[in-house]
Amino acid sequence: MTSRILVVDDDTALAEMIGIVLRTEGFDPVFCEDGAQALEVFRSSKPDLVLLDLMLPGLDGIEVCDRIRAESGTPIIMLTAKSDTADVVKGLESGADDYMVKPFNPKELVARIRTRLRPAPASPPSDELTVGDLIVDVAGHEVRRGDARIALTPLEFDLLLALASKPQQVFTREMLLEQVWGYHYKADTRLVNVHVQRLRAKVEQDPDNPKIVMTVRGVGYRAGAAA
Amino acid sequence: MRFRWPTRDAWRRVPSRLAYLWRTSLQVRTVAITLLLTGAAILVTGIYMALSISNDLYQSRLDQALRDSSRATTTAQSTLNASDVSSGDAGKNLLNTVLQSVQASTSSRLVAAYRVPGQDTGVLAPPDRGSPAMNSVISPDLREKVQNGGMKQYYQSVALPAGGGTDPGIVVGSQLTLPSYGKYELYIGYNLRDSENTLLFVQNTLLVAGLALVLLIGAITWVIVRFVVEPIRVAARTSERLAAGDLAVRIPERGEDVFASLARSFNGMADSLQSQINQLATLSQLQQRFVSDVSHELRTPLTTIRLAGDVIYDQREGFPPATARTAELLHTQIERFDRLLSDLLEISRYDAGSVVLDAEPTNLVRLAEECVDELRTVAEQNGSELVLDAPGGYFDVPMDPRRIRRVVRNLLGNAIEHGEGRPVVVTVDSNESAVALTVRDFGIGMSAQDTGHVFDRFWRADPSRKRTLGGTGLGLAISLEDATLHSGWLQVWSSPGAGSCFRLTLPRVAGREITASPLSLAPTEDGTGVPQGSDAATGSEAHA
Repeated sequence: MTSRILVVDDDTALAEMIGIVLRTEGFDPVFCEDGAQALEVFRSSKPDLVLLDLMLPGLDGIEVCDRIRAESGTPIIMLTAKSDTADVVKGLESGADDYMVKPFNPKELVARIRTRLRPAPASPPSDELTVGDLIVDVAGHEVRRGDARIALTPLEFDLLLALASKPQQVFTREMLLEQVWGYHYKADTRLVNVHVQRLRAKVEQDPDNPKIVMTVRGVGYRAGAAA
Repeated sequence: MRFRWPTRDAWRRVPSRLAYLWRTSLQVRTVAITLLLTGAAILVTGIYMALSISNDLYQSRLDQALRDSSRATTTAQSTLNASDVSSGDAGKNLLNTVLQSVQASTSSRLVAAYRVPGQDTGVLAPPDRGSPAMNSVISPDLREKVQNGGMKQYYQSVALPAGGGTDPGIVVGSQLTLPSYGKYELYIGYNLRDSENTLLFVQNTLLVAGLALVLLIGAITWVIVRFVVEPIRVAARTSERLAAGDLAVRIPERGEDVFASLARSFNGMADSLQSQINQLATLSQLQQRFVSDVSHELRTPLTTIRLAGDVIYDQREGFPPATARTAELLHTQIERFDRLLSDLLEISRYDAGSVVLDAEPTNLVRLAEECVDELRTVAEQNGSELVLDAPGGYFDVPMDPRRIRRVVRNLLGNAIEHGEGRPVVVTVDSNESAVALTVRDFGIGMSAQDTGHVFDRFWRADPSRKRTLGGTGLGLAISLEDATLHSGWLQVWSSPGAGSCFRLTLPRVAGREITASPLSLAPTEDGTGVPQGSDAATGSEAHA
């Protein structure tokens, strides 16, 4: 199955070049140059992943990201020229799964895309896990509290699953970056922080007093005890 | 605050504190000088006035006493002349009567009469009529003058016994002649207590008035000096704040006097300073923004070029040799361009002051190990062996691992590049205040002049040398900024032919000052090993 990838970038040369790289790797790229039309193209093309430039004419990348997130959990990788600005954090907070700083190399890009498209690491200990008062249905890719289903993006699901599958273990941010994001070297730990916040906002009864994703001060995170 | 009696030490410090006040406060100095001078003037005037008043008082009282006594004596003599007595008791009575009338007419109770000695004692003359108060105060000197002076008046200042003490007084003496009895000395005492009281009162008044005047003048001076000093003080404070960087501060302009004009010209100066500084700041901001914008704008096309280059590079196997080599060159130069751009951006971030330290507890030995492992392959390609020696430093120190890793990688890269294929020794150690890492190579080294420039941007020790690792020329400049951001040191020692040693020292506790680095910068005999024949004294150090 060919994965379809939506490239939202106003720089046509770059978009075309990314398209060439993606095609070489066996992906099916779809293009959009304007932020304002990005959502339409997204709806009509139903991509498996979105590459989104942060600075776009029409509607800026963060806004586009927000709107896509409002209706879908499709993985989003931001492309940005500035790694040091608040834009990156804003982009992550609005739901982007990962980001890449220009100029990136093609192998890195493809690796990031594959990590996000890859199904959750197989070999879960069982089909169903319990975290706090939540039930994680591994096979069905679903999280439930009682009968209510909680909608998580694939990344958030992976994050929760990684924590829940080893409830005794404390995960450092670096471990999570490797396991969930596929980084094998030191990367930006803001990715973890922002996505833990987003996950908590969805799964915790009281995000200020988390019971599912617990912070271990100075180390990292671990799953809450089964209720 | 409770008042505490000053300790002896505090008292001992009083003179120095006064001296300090004298030196530092114009107001204190002015008031002190004014008080001193007016005080002296008033003292002299007061003493003169007191003396002249006392003289005047005494003189007039004396004149009065002399007139009074002369009149009384004349009256008494004429009474005596008119009488005709010759028998003993009658003479005594007559003297009593006369003395009583003298007493009555002079309003002085102090009257005494003594018979002039050396007269005919045969006559039954009335005896002396002294008074207890007078007997003791009339001096023999006065008596002698009166005895020999005929009708003349003589006087003497005396201390008349009164109550427990004495009163000032005058005794006036003259002769009386009792017909048929002989000559008598008549003494009349006048008490000057009243005049003395008046004098005391006047002196007290003078003293009080003088003191009040001195205080008043002091207070007036204080107020006036304050009026003058206050604007100066405001101006001084304002210029201090301006110098400290508060560019918006101004002196309030009031009135049209000299201070208002001072304030106006000062404010004018501040205005022009502020506008120039703002202009410079804007320019510098613009420049930094420009560098940052250019770097960012370059990134999108560079991404495209990089992607394109990589696609071509991946297919170089199928190209003719020249094209394949071109693809390789394209690939490496794009990477170099990429690094240059990142370094330029990093430096512009430092210039813009937008760098934040993202510190976390990190083990410097582990970090050095990682870097050494990472660069081992490159080192081996250059024929250098990487040696890590860590006698200390096995604990977590707050640092930004990303930046410190960059520094260490950069130092290692430089050492490998300039190491001439000889070993590169990395040493980590710690002391109570700091952890340090040195990277020592035994390559060609640098001259003292070059050593002073290694941290300069885009500076190259030897322009003709080839750059195998493709450094950007910004590496050490960024490393230095990174070290400074940690309140740490980055220093270099180098000697031509003996190689170089770079030392990074970081505080153990964030923000705490480093007292000494645990590692020595210049090589020691037993330290990291000095190549044969090299002399450490010829080495040069650059501290940053």
